[in-house]
Amino acid sequence: MFKIFFLSELKYSLKQPMVYIFFGLMALFTFGATASDNIVIGGAVGNIYKNAPHIITFYTIIMSLFGLLIATAFYNNAALRDYNNQFNEILFSTPLSKFGYFFGRFFGALILATIPMLGVFFGVWLGTVIAPAFNWVGADRFGEFYLETFINNYFLFILPNMFFAGTLIFALANKFRSTMISFVGSLVIIIGYIIAGSLISDIENETIAAITDSFGIRAYSVHSKYFTPIEKNTVSPGFTGLLLLNRLMWVTIGVIILIISYFGFSIKEKSKKTKANKKVVSNESKESFRLPSLTINFDRKTEWLQFKSFFYTNFLSITKSITFRILFLFSAIILISNLVGGFEYYGLQAYPLTYKIINTINSATGIFVIIILVFFSGELVWRDRDSKINEVIDASPHTSFVSLASKSLSLVAITTILHVFFILFGVFYQFLNGYTHIELDIYFLDFFYKSFFTYFIWSGVMILIQVLLNNKYIGYFVSIVVIFVWKFILRILDIQSNMLDIGGRPSLMYSDMNSFGPGLEGALWFNLYWVLFSIICLLIAGALWNRGVLSSLKDRIKYTKKSIPKSYRLSITSIVGLWILVAGFVFYNTQILNSYKTSDEREELAVKYETKYKKYQDINQPKITDAKYYIDIYPYKRDAHVKAILELTNESNKTIDSIHFTIDSRWNPEIDIPNTELVFEDKELDYLIYKFIKPLRPEESIKATIHTKYITKGFKNSRGSTGVVNNGTFLNNLQILPFIGYSESSELSDNNTRKKYGLKPKDRMPELEENCSVNCMKNYLSDGKADYINVETVISTSSDQIAIAPGSLLKKWEEDGRSYYHYKVDNPSQNFYSFMSAKYQKATRKWNGVDIEVYYDPKHPWNVKMMIDAVERSLKYYTKNFGPYYHKQCRIIEFPRYASFAQAFPGTMPYSEAIGFVINLEDENENNIVDAVIAHEMAHQWWAHQVIGATMQGATMFSESFSEYSSLMTMKSIAKTPMKMREFLKYNHNRYLRGRGGEVDKELPLYKVENQTYIHYGKGSIILYALQDYIGEDKVNTAMKNFLDEFKYRKPPYPTSLDFIKHLELQVPDSLKYLIKDWIKEITLYDNRMKEATYEKLDNGKYLATVNIESHKIKADTIGNETKVPINDWVDIGFFSDDDEKNLLFEKRIKIDKNEMIFTFELDLPPIKAAIDPRRLLIDRVYDDNIKQIKETTLNNM
Amino acid sequence: MYKLSIKNLSKSYSNGVKALDNISIEISNGMFGLLGPNGAGKSSLMRTLATLQEADTGSAFLNDIDIFNEPNELRKVLGYLPQEFGVYPRITAEQLLNHLAILKGISNSRERKELVKYLLDKVNLYEKRNKSVKGFSGGMKQRVGIAQALIGNPKLIIVDEPTAGLDPGERNRFYNLLAEVGKEVIVILSTHIVDDVRELCTNMAIMNLGQIVYHGTPQNAIDELDGRVYQKMVPREELEVYAQNYSIISNKMVGGQPLIHISSETNPGEGFELIKPNLEDVFFSKINTSNTLV
Repeated sequence: MFKIFFLSELKYSLKQPMVYIFFGLMALFTFGATASDNIVIGGAVGNIYKNAPHIITFYTIIMSLFGLLIATAFYNNAALRDYNNQFNEILFSTPLSKFGYFFGRFFGALILATIPMLGVFFGVWLGTVIAPAFNWVGADRFGEFYLETFINNYFLFILPNMFFAGTLIFALANKFRSTMISFVGSLVIIIGYIIAGSLISDIENETIAAITDSFGIRAYSVHSKYFTPIEKNTVSPGFTGLLLLNRLMWVTIGVIILIISYFGFSIKEKSKKTKANKKVVSNESKESFRLPSLTINFDRKTEWLQFKSFFYTNFLSITKSITFRILFLFSAIILISNLVGGFEYYGLQAYPLTYKIINTINSATGIFVIIILVFFSGELVWRDRDSKINEVIDASPHTSFVSLASKSLSLVAITTILHVFFILFGVFYQFLNGYTHIELDIYFLDFFYKSFFTYFIWSGVMILIQVLLNNKYIGYFVSIVVIFVWKFILRILDIQSNMLDIGGRPSLMYSDMNSFGPGLEGALWFNLYWVLFSIICLLIAGALWNRGVLSSLKDRIKYTKKSIPKSYRLSITSIVGLWILVAGFVFYNTQILNSYKTSDEREELAVKYETKYKKYQDINQPKITDAKYYIDIYPYKRDAHVKAILELTNESNKTIDSIHFTIDSRWNPEIDIPNTELVFEDKELDYLIYKFIKPLRPEESIKATIHTKYITKGFKNSRGSTGVVNNGTFLNNLQILPFIGYSESSELSDNNTRKKYGLKPKDRMPELEENCSVNCMKNYLSDGKADYINVETVISTSSDQIAIAPGSLLKKWEEDGRSYYHYKVDNPSQNFYSFMSAKYQKATRKWNGVDIEVYYDPKHPWNVKMMIDAVERSLKYYTKNFGPYYHKQCRIIEFPRYASFAQAFPGTMPYSEAIGFVINLEDENENNIVDAVIAHEMAHQWWAHQVIGATMQGATMFSESFSEYSSLMTMKSIAKTPMKMREFLKYNHNRYLRGRGGEVDKELPLYKVENQTYIHYGKGSIILYALQDYIGEDKVNTAMKNFLDEFKYRKPPYPTSLDFIKHLELQVPDSLKYLIKDWIKEITLYDNRMKEATYEKLDNGKYLATVNIESHKIKADTIGNETKVPINDWVDIGFFSDDDEKNLLFEKRIKIDKNEMIFTFELDLPPIKAAIDPRRLLIDRVYDDNIKQIKETTLNNM
Repeated sequence: MYKLSIKNLSKSYSNGVKALDNISIEISNGMFGLLGPNGAGKSSLMRTLATLQEADTGSAFLNDIDIFNEPNELRKVLGYLPQEFGVYPRITAEQLLNHLAILKGISNSRERKELVKYLLDKVNLYEKRNKSVKGFSGGMKQRVGIAQALIGNPKLIIVDEPTAGLDPGERNRFYNLLAEVGKEVIVILSTHIVDDVRELCTNMAIMNLGQIVYHGTPQNAIDELDGRVYQKMVPREELEVYAQNYSIISNKMVGGQPLIHISSETNPGEGFELIKPNLEDVFFSKINTSNTLV
C-alpha cells in the first residue's frame, strides 16, 4: 500500500510541470551565478573557484530558503489533492491502509520536493561547462568537482531541510486542510530562521544561533568561518560537529511532528463543525418601513461619497483578512525580536536613538510591507470578481478610476497604519529602556519622505500591473519580477538613473548632526516625479479597467480608445503634462546640471587612465614641503572654497622639467605655478601636465597657488557629497587638492575586474627589502608626495559653527558675519589632515600642557567625559613608554554617521557619530570598545604620525599593529583581572581567523603584511600582546621605543619591519627567539586540546591536578596549506575556580615538546576547569576544546 | 412609459460561437420573460444590456439613452441581478446595501438608511441585517441580490435566473415584489423555468442559438399551438420509431414510461390524444425545430 501511494504521488507530480519549472528556476539562478560575475547569490564568490565545494554548499543552503516554498507546494498538494478534488469520500470508503496512505504520500512528496533542489547542482555544473567555453569567465576560475560535495549536500541539507519543512507543512495541511495555513507554516519556519539569526550578531551566541537555525545555514557558516581558501576549494561539508548536531536535532523534531501528525490523522471524513445557531431574539418592535422618496444625483459629492465607500469596504476587507493579520503579526514579532536584540556593538549596547529604531523598523518590516502591497493589490483588484459581485458593481454608475483610486488609497492607508504601529512599538521600546528623548517628528518625517511615497508609488504600479494582465497570479508574478528583477536589469544595462528605477530616489540617512542630509531635496523631487507616475498608472488602469465581462487587453484598448470620456482624456493629458515638466526638471538637475558616471563608465575611465598614464607613475616630481590653506566653508549652501599655497621642492638630485596633476573636476581646480605652462590637458581623464620653463633644480622650491571650489548646484541623482554638508562638514587635504603625479589609488583594484578589461593583476606591494634604496624613499601614507611638513590654515565658516583645522588655534575672529579661525601645526607632520565644521559643543581638559578637546554634537553628551579619560590614559601610557607627544592638543571631533570610523590625523581624531558617541557606557566601569578605539587612534599619534613605514610589505605593522597593541596595553593597565583581556582578544582572534578565510590573494606573515586588515589589526595585536606576555611588557615597549627614537620624524629613507625586528631581537632572550620566527616571520597556528583533567584532594589540604593535553604546532603557507611541525614551545596551563572562567586561580608556563603530554600541578584551592593557554595568547582555530571541566577523583580514599 | 429598443444586435466570441445573432426587439413597461435553453444567449443579451459586455454590431436604446455609447447614463437607471450573485466576505447585509446605494447615487445618508431598511424588510432580511452576508444561505443571498437590484428607483431591471435556490414561498414573495415595481418600469426576467414566465409576464421572448425565435404574449404562443399537440405513453424501446414518424416536441418520463408530445395538424390516431398545449410545449416546439429526442 505504501508503495502504491508513494509511486502514484511521484507519477502524478512528475506529469505536472511544477517540478520541472522549479528545477529550471533553481538551475537558472545558480547557472547565472556560476557563469557570470554580475549575478550574485548571497555574497560575492571572491577568489576561490566559482564551483568550489564551499560555493556549491553555500548555494544549496541559500536556495533551501526558496526551496521551502517548493516544499510547501508539494506537501500541501500531497495532503490536500484528494480533498480538493472531493475524491476523499470515494477514496476513503475503500479499504486502504492509513499507514500506506499517509507515509506513501509524505515520502513521495519528500522525494519530489528534493528534485528541484538538484537544479542547484545542475546549474553549477552547466555553468562550469559553458562559461569557460564561451569565455564568459576564465577557465582558471573553476576547479574540479567532488562527488562528495553533491552527495553530502543532498543528505546534509537538501533532504533534511525538505524533510523537516515537510513534516510541519504536511501536518498542518492534514490538520487544517487549508493552503493558506500551510503557507503560514512555511512562513513560521522562515521567521524562526530570522529570529535565530538575530542571535548570531555577537559571537557569544554563535553556537545557539547555529543550532536553532532549522536550515543549517548558520551551522554551516559557523562550521566554515575559519576555512582557508584552499579548504573552501576542496573541502565538502561533512557529518561532523555542530553541523551534524543541528541536522540530527531538526530531523528528530521532524520525526516527532510526523508521528504526532500520523496519530492525529484520520481517514474518516472530518465531521463538519456544527455551530450552534444562536436564536436571534428580536426585541425590536416591528417597525414599519416605507420607501423614502429618493434624491438621486451624480455630482462631485457623489463621487467623493463613492470613493469613501469603496475605500471603506476595501480597507475593511484588508484589515479583517486573516492574511493581513498574520503578516502584521509576523512583522511585529520580527520587529520586536530585533528591538529586544538591541543595538550591539562589540558587546556593548547603543542608546536606542530614534534613527536606530527607524532603521530597525525599516529593515525588519520592509519585506512584509512589500508582501502586503503585492498580495493585497491583487486581492483588491480581483476582489469583486472573486466574490462574484463584480457584475453588480460594474453595472453601477461610478467611474472606474474612483474605484481604483480607492483601492490604491486603501493600500497606502493600510501600510501607513502598519507603520504607525511599528513606530509605536519603537517608542514604547525607547521608553522601556529609559530613553526619553522621543523624536516623533523624525519618525514621522522619515516615514513621510521614504516609506509613504514608496507605498504610494508601488500601489499604483501594482494595480496597473494587475489590471493589464487580467490574471491575479500572473499579476503577482510580474509584480515580484518588477520589484526585484527590474533593478537587476537596470544594473546589467548599467543604468543608474533613479528616473528609471521605480520609486528610486537619492538615499536619505538621518543623522542627529545633519538631519536628513544632502539627499533630501532630490528625494522630494524624485518622490513627486514617481507619485505623478503612479497616478498616471492609476489613470491608465482606470481607463483599461476590465468592467463587466473579462476581455483581452487588446479589446479593452480598442474599446477605451473609442469610449474614453473627454474629461478623462483631459485629466490624463494634464497629469502626464505635469509629470513631463517634473521629469524635465529632475532630468536637468540629475543628468545635465549634475551629470554622473555610471559604474561601468567609471571602470572604463579607470582603465583608460591606467593604460594612458601608468607610465608616469615613477617620474620624478617635486614634494610638498610647506602648505598654507585658506578655506571658506558655506555649510548651508554646501559650498567650499579653497586656496592653498604649496611650497614644492625638488628633493631629488635630478632636475625636474614638468609637474603632473591628477585632478578631481568636481572641485574645479585652478592651478597657478610660476614659471610653468600648461602643456597637456586631458579633460576626460582629468590629467594635467605643466612644464617648467626653466627646469626645477635639486633643492630648488617654488610656490604654487591652487584654488579649488566645491559648489552645490540643484540636486543630484544620488545623495551627493557628504563631505560638505549643513552640519558636519568633514574634508581632508587629499579630497580638496589635486594629486601630484599619477594616482595609483585610481586604478581598478579588483583583479577579476581588471582581467575583464585585459589589465594585469594589480601590482602588489613592493617586496620587503633589507637594504632598501628607492622604495624606502616614500611612505605608504603620503606616497612620496610629501614628508613631514608645516601646515597653517585660515578656515572660515558660518558664525553658528566651529571650524577646525590641524594644529593650535592662533587666532579667532568674526568678519562679515562669519567666523574665522587661524590654526598652525606645532610640529612638522604628515601631509594628512582634516578640515571640519559643525555646530559643536566643546569639552576640554588640560593634561601636562596638552589640551584634550572633544567637539561633539549637543545631542550626544553621554560619553564625552569617558572619552577624555581615555585620551588622558593613552597619553599617560604612551608618553611613559614610547616618548613625548609633539602636539599641543588632542582633539576628538564628531562627524555625521555617513561613515562609521575613527581616523587619526596629526593631533586630531575625527570620530563618527555612529560609534562611540551613542554607545551606552553607563554600566561600564571598566574599559570598553570606545576606550579601545580612542586609545588606538591616540596611538597613531606615535605609530603612523611619528614613525611610518616605507611603501613596502610590513609597513602597516608598525602603524596598525602597534596602535592596536598600544590600545590593548592601555586597557590592560586598568583591567582588574587577567581574564578581562581575553574578552578583547577574542574579537582580534576572530578577526584574524575569519579574515584569513576570506583572503582573496595570499596570506602573508606579519612582518610582510600588505595592508591586510585581518593581519595588521587582528593578528598583529594578538602577537604583540602575546609577546609582551612572554618576554615582558617593558621589553616589547623598549624595543618599540628604541625603534621610534631611531626613526621619529626622520626624513626618508623610511624604516621597514626589519628595522623593528632588529630592535626587538635585542630584547628577546635566546630561549624565546623562536617566537620571532614563528609568530612574526612565518604563519604559525596551534592546535591545543585539553583531553582530560582530573584532580584529587591531598592530605595536606592541597589539590593535585593532572592534565592530559594534546598540542600541535602548525605552519601554514600563503594559501592555507597546513603542515604539522614538531612542537617545542612554551605554553600556559591554567585552572579556573569558577564556571565562567573569570577567576584564574593558577597558571604556569610549561615547555611542550611532545604532542601528547601529561602534567600534574599542586593547587591551593579546588579547580573547576582546566585550560591549556587559558588567556588565549596563541592562535588556535578551535579554542573551545582548550578548556575542560575538571573532574575530582577519589581514588586515594578508596 | 419606457421603451427599450434593440436593433440588429450581434455578438460572436473568439471561439466562433455566435452568442447573439442579429437580434432586434422592442420592450416596454411590464414584466418581460426571456426563455431559452442553456447557451441560448440569454445571459449574453442581458449582460450586453447591463453594459457589461460589448456588442459587435447593433444598437440599444432605453428611451433616448444610447446604452452602448453612454453606458454610465444607463447604469444610473439600471437595476441588475446577475445569474451569479456573490457577496464580499466580512461585510453585513446592511453595509453591503448601503455601499451599493452610494454607488447608485443616493447621496443623502438619511434617505439611504431608510431605503436600505425598507428593502431589507421587503426581502425579509431585516432581522439579519447585521449578520455577515457571506454566511447567508443561497436563498438569503439571492434575496440580498434582489434587494440591491431595486435600489434607486431603476427604470430598467434585468434579473437573470433570479429564482434559482429560492424556496416556493420566497419565490412568490419575490415575484410579488417584482410585479409591484414592474408595473411602471421595464423588468426583463430571464429564466428557463417556463412556469415563471406564464405566471408573471405580460410579454415574452424565446431565444435559441442566439436568435429570438418567438416574441409575443405567452397566451398568444399557447393559442398558436392550440389543437395541434397530442400526447401518448409509448414503450421505451419504440421511442426511436416514434421519433422518425412524428414531429416530437418533447418526451418525459411519467411513472417510468416515456410520455411524448407531438405536434400535428391532424389527429394522428394511433392512441394519441389531443391535449391543451401549455407554455412548455410552446417552448419546446420553438427550440426543438429539428424534432429530435431531447
